[in-house]
Parts: sequence; structure tokens; C-alpha cells
Amino acid sequence: MRTALFLLLAMLAPGQAFAANQVALDNAVFVERVSTDAQGKQRIILEEPKVVVPGDRLVFVLNYRNAGAQPADKFVITNPLPAAVRFADAGDTRPMVSVDGGKQWGLLADLSVPMTDGTHRAAQPADVTHVRWAFQKPIPVGGSGKLIFRGVVK
Amino acid sequence: MVIAPVGGAKHRLLPSYSIIPVLAALALPTQAEAAGTRAGSTISNTASASFDTGGGTATVDSNRVDLLVDELLDVTVDSSNPADVPTTPGATGQLLTFLVTNNGNGVEAFGLATIANAGGDNYDPAVAQIYLDNGDGLFDASTDTLYTAGANDPSLNPDQSIAVFVLATTPGTVVDGNRGIVSLVAAAKTGTGDPGDSFASEGEGGGDAVVGSTGADGQDAGAFIVSAATVTLVKSAVVTNSLGTAGPVPGATITYTIVATVAGSGSVSGLAITDNIPADTSYVPGSIALGGSGLSDAADADAGDYNGTRVNVALGTVAGGQTRTVTFQTKID
Repeated sequence: MRTALFLLLAMLAPGQAFAANQVALDNAVFVERVSTDAQGKQRIILEEPKVVVPGDRLVFVLNYRNAGAQPADKFVITNPLPAAVRFADAGDTRPMVSVDGGKQWGLLADLSVPMTDGTHRAAQPADVTHVRWAFQKPIPVGGSGKLIFRGVVK
Repeated sequence: MVIAPVGGAKHRLLPSYSIIPVLAALALPTQAEAAGTRAGSTISNTASASFDTGGGTATVDSNRVDLLVDELLDVTVDSSNPADVPTTPGATGQLLTFLVTNNGNGVEAFGLATIANAGGDNYDPAVAQIYLDNGDGLFDASTDTLYTAGANDPSLNPDQSIAVFVLATTPGTVVDGNRGIVSLVAAAKTGTGDPGDSFASEGEGGGDAVVGSTGADGQDAGAFIVSAATVTLVKSAVVTNSLGTAGPVPGATITYTIVATVAGSGSVSGLAITDNIPADTSYVPGSIALGGSGLSDAADADAGDYNGTRVNVALGTVAGGQTRTVTFQTKID
């Protein structure tokens, strides 16, 4: 049977990608599925991505940890979106995004996309090419956290 | 430069999932556009972090996650005949056209079948053949390919469509206004089932094949409508003579009137009225008239002629609901 993990349990992925500088960044991807129980109530389940088809919602989970002996200042995490994934949302983590391949950054609501006729339209989630979180305060020694965003397989 | 947004300064576990019920409502239903990412392709994700622990900016990459995109099995069938196709009793080679589209994300072959006895109509067209279009969208038995189930099931790329021609015979027993429905069914050869069912390792590119929202099969209906017409002829005669009576005495003139009435939603073509001149009477030259307008006796451009033994009026194609009145005269010998 396929492993189905409930939301709050799903995020405890082991950190493993340790770097020389003692900051670890672990990346995990889950498929978000909606199941309807006998009462007609819908419940979201995160699954290991055993089967992935167009239209599936993916949840990207980034776990970071400062395993070094010094606080990590100017901490920035950047995730270029895979070409086959359309950005959906980032929960309440309020990342900055780029809609031009990483040249300019800002909140999605503040960005625009140039049109062929010279005008600009407001940027949509589907325009996002990169997601980035920049931390104002240093990550203290031993500090850790988790960031998520969602995308849909094109 | 980079300015951290308000919420970005947390470095403990974020209560990220408190808002999931709200997001869930926005997330439904998840809909793939067009065919989507090709089956067998890989989605790779890597994040990076940059930071400064006092020795200048350092960068670290995360592990890379690779996802193999599986094959979605989806197909739609659409009738290309928005209106019922007219047919006539006993007609063969009656054509319905359908469009079969691979809405999946991998190359897939589709088996085709027809259903003509599902009810909801007046008769069952007899499906004789299915042809696969050569790409021009028009049926031509000499250039299109006769379909044999299991032998030449059409294989379609993602988003590719093929026109399918269904040829049927209309039973001779049908009557004007009868309707006959034929549905074309297309089913993925890899398999069909409920959305989400999967066939392990049977997808293009080595992944699984997963039944999509269409159930990996699709069908649509086209219909024939019988458009027939019937002809009734009514002949009458009026005698006039020099005595001013209706007596059929020698020398009296008989005026024949033939009324052809066409009924039904169709029309009749090549309709002609022919009447032999009775014995012991003589045709009155130049007396043929159609709808009150005189016609010449010669076999020429106009519709009437007299060849020495009979009167003929060619009416051509007459639609249902119309009448034609032919008159001519003879004289009693």
C-alpha cells in the first residue's frame, strides 16, 4: 500500500545535505491529494511522489538548519522553479519571487510582466520563475526552520 | 537589493499549515491544461542557500529531487456533425464524422468501436465500416484507411486528433422523420478505468500509466434523420362538346388534369408524369400545360412533349409539401 502521510506528520524529513559551512538545506517534494471521506468531508493528504501526472499539486518543502558554530547572517534561500511546474502559492511564508528568470525580485503583488505592445500586466502565479526567502535576522547556531511552496505539474 | 518581507524573519518551525483548509478550497479541482508535461520527462528541483558566517558569503545547494512524470491516459471523442445528418430509407454509405483527441501526455493507441443500439432513437443504423482520416478531414474511401479493431488502432501523440468516419446503412423500413443514433467509443489500449487507476510501468518513458478524468475512454453520438417524400397522383377529366353538355360524343374535347402532390420532409428527384393517349381519342396539339402555362409538343428545352402516343412532363426535383398540376386535351374520334 502506498504511504500516505497526514499533513502535520509529513514534514519531518531528515536533513542530510550538510555543507562544508555547516548550514544544511534539505529539499523534499510531496504530492498533495484530496480525499473525500464517507461523510463527504475533504481531507488533504501528502504522499510520497510515487506517481506524478500533469495537474498534480506538488508541495516543495525546504528544511534548513544552522549546524555550524557561528550565526548565519544574510541568509537567503532561492529555489528556481522547475520548468514543468507552475507556481501556485507559498502558504504564509511570504517569499519574494521573480517573474523574469531571477533578474528582479519582489512580492508577487508588486511585480508586473511586460506585454508585446509595451504595456504591463500584473504578474500571476504562473509567471513565477524563482522563489526566494531572505531573512532579516541571522540564523542562530542550531536554529532551523522550514519553508514550503506549492506548484502544479504543467 | 534584497529586502526581506515581514514574514521572512522566522527561523523556527513556521505554523505554515494553519491555512491549508482555506487553500484546499481554492485548489479544487486540479485541472491539467492541454496535454501537459510529456510522460517520461523528469522534474528536477534543487534549492540553494547563501549566508555569511563571518568569512564572506558562502553558498550551499540542497539535495536534488527528481520526479519522473507518469503517463496520463485521457481521450475525448467529439461528433463533427452538430446537426442530424439527412438520410433516406435503404441508403448505404451514410457518413458520420467524429474527432478523437489524445488528451493525455504520452503517445497512446486507441481502440475504436461503435454503439448503434443504445436507444433514444427510432431505429438502429447498421454500421458497415469505420475509416481513419488521412489528414484532410474529408472522407474518401480511396485515400482514407479502413479501420480494423486491434490491427490498426490509431496511435496519437499528446494533443493530436484524428478524424474518424463511420459509414452506416439505413434500413429500408424507416419512414420520414425517423432518427437513428450512432456513438463512437475510443478507449486507451493501455487500459481504462476510474480516474486515478494506474498501470505500473506501462506509461511512456518507463513510468506508470494513470487513468485521467475521462476514464481513459470517451464517446460521443452522431445521428441520422430520415428525410423521405411520397408522391400521390390524382387524375380527373372534364368533357366539353359543341352541344354545351358534358356528353362524351364524337368530336367532344376531354381535358385531363393530373395533380402530383409530394408529402414528407424530403424531396423527390427525377419526377416525371407520363400519360398515354387513350384509344379512339386524338391528342389536341399544343394542349399540354404545367401549372397553367403552356408547353410545346416538341422534346425541347421546356418540360413537356408529345411523341405521338403519350404526353410526358418532366417535373425534376420537387420538395415535400408542393404540388404540380399538368393538363392536356384530347378529342374523341
